[in-house]
Amino acid sequence: MNYDWSVIWDFRSELASGVWTTIQLTFATMAVAIPGGLTIMLLRQSRFRLLSWFGTFFTEFFRNLPLILVIYWVFYILPTLMPNVDFPPFATGLVALALGVSAYNAETFRAGVNSIRKGQTEAAMALGMSRWQVMRKVVLPQAFRRILPMLASTWVSLFKDTSLVSVIAVADLTYTALEIRAKNYRILEMLTAMAVIYWCLGYPQAKFVDWMYRKIGVTE
Amino acid sequence: MNAGDPQGARKGSDKPPIVIYENVVKRFGTFTALNGVSAQVNAGEVVCLIGPSGSGKTTLLRCTNVLETIDGGRIVFEGAPIGSTPNQARAVRQRMGMVFQNFELFPHMTALENVAVGPLTVLGIDKESATRKAQALLDKVGLSTKGSNYPSALSGGQQQRVAIARALAMDPEMMLFDEPTSALDPETVGEVLNVMKKLAEDGMTMVVVTHEMAFAQRVGDWIVVFDHGRIVEQGPPQQIFDAPTEERTRDFLGHLGWTG
Repeated sequence: MNYDWSVIWDFRSELASGVWTTIQLTFATMAVAIPGGLTIMLLRQSRFRLLSWFGTFFTEFFRNLPLILVIYWVFYILPTLMPNVDFPPFATGLVALALGVSAYNAETFRAGVNSIRKGQTEAAMALGMSRWQVMRKVVLPQAFRRILPMLASTWVSLFKDTSLVSVIAVADLTYTALEIRAKNYRILEMLTAMAVIYWCLGYPQAKFVDWMYRKIGVTE
Repeated sequence: MNAGDPQGARKGSDKPPIVIYENVVKRFGTFTALNGVSAQVNAGEVVCLIGPSGSGKTTLLRCTNVLETIDGGRIVFEGAPIGSTPNQARAVRQRMGMVFQNFELFPHMTALENVAVGPLTVLGIDKESATRKAQALLDKVGLSTKGSNYPSALSGGQQQRVAIARALAMDPEMMLFDEPTSALDPETVGEVLNVMKKLAEDGMTMVVVTHEMAFAQRVGDWIVVFDHGRIVEQGPPQQIFDAPTEERTRDFLGHLGWTG
């Protein structure tokens, strides 16, 4: 069997565009899923039964489904819910990933908030702060610092998991590479190219997470 | 009225009462932490709560600013019984400062920010005045130059003095101290007690849970002795430390090596 590695170079602009979509999707998903996770966590801790029930339901529902299933599900459900709106594949993928990752982040935030000792909350309440002020001024800033490495881990997973949206024809790196493969049958070359690109982009992120764990681990 | 009466309503005091505890009961599950406690805190007085660990002193203090809700009796603050809804609790807490055993400074804020955060967040004062006020309070507790330090860069005694300044920043009508020197190295206990003494001399109404008997004797106006969720004896320090009427008080002071 002969290999033709030049196809990778020939399709460099398509691959680059795929990489760009992957990066955009990762950033956009996190940009939604951090406030999203925070909101779900706060709902879950609410005094109002209905809100806390919804927060718990959301978290447990999306956290325990395979992401790819959520992606398919959103792909078919969204157009029936809003028939007049045209959802491009990127937006659909974004919604699906944001649902899943918000659920993960909600759990991360909850762990962070629960790790702040009760005395901190009491000291803030003793000043006359409301529950929300205690959360915003005292608990969340400390919790956020503590869970930063966990959020970064989720980020790295998400970066790879964005490849799942290729099933609904979002032109990310995976979809683009597989499309090229389908055109010229250079299967091994394209898969290798994908592996190298994902790895080269993912490795520094993973190292960054390791560094964060070490750094924050010392100060706590 | 018998001065040793555990019910200890105080007639003859010319100072108006700030807090009146009437038959306060607090239970944690099947454990009764406070079993019918009655006492009174008058304006400008330092009331010291003493007694063995687990006797209910801290619980009474925490019930005072509604960090715990009571199961029986009532606590009257400035003429009105305190309620337990979140809004009622907040209203009470804004008028009482509290200092904790473990300081509980906010570790992500500098000393100055710790002191300013109450007025800034709760009273909605502008940042400049809040900062100016915070600096003045740090001066008052002897930490003028430590404003930009984070709590982790301060000694225990310094942290506790910042915590006192933080509570004072809300201009409280009274201060609650929960074993403020118990977590300190012996050499820093004095600096915290001195700040508290100065505060008392300035006329602040204070309720202090403490194991520092010398402080209670010298600074306290009224001493309340707890045991097993009840008040065994209360009275002025001369009575409690020099001539306790109750066997249990003598036992407790004896265990501490108190010789008068």
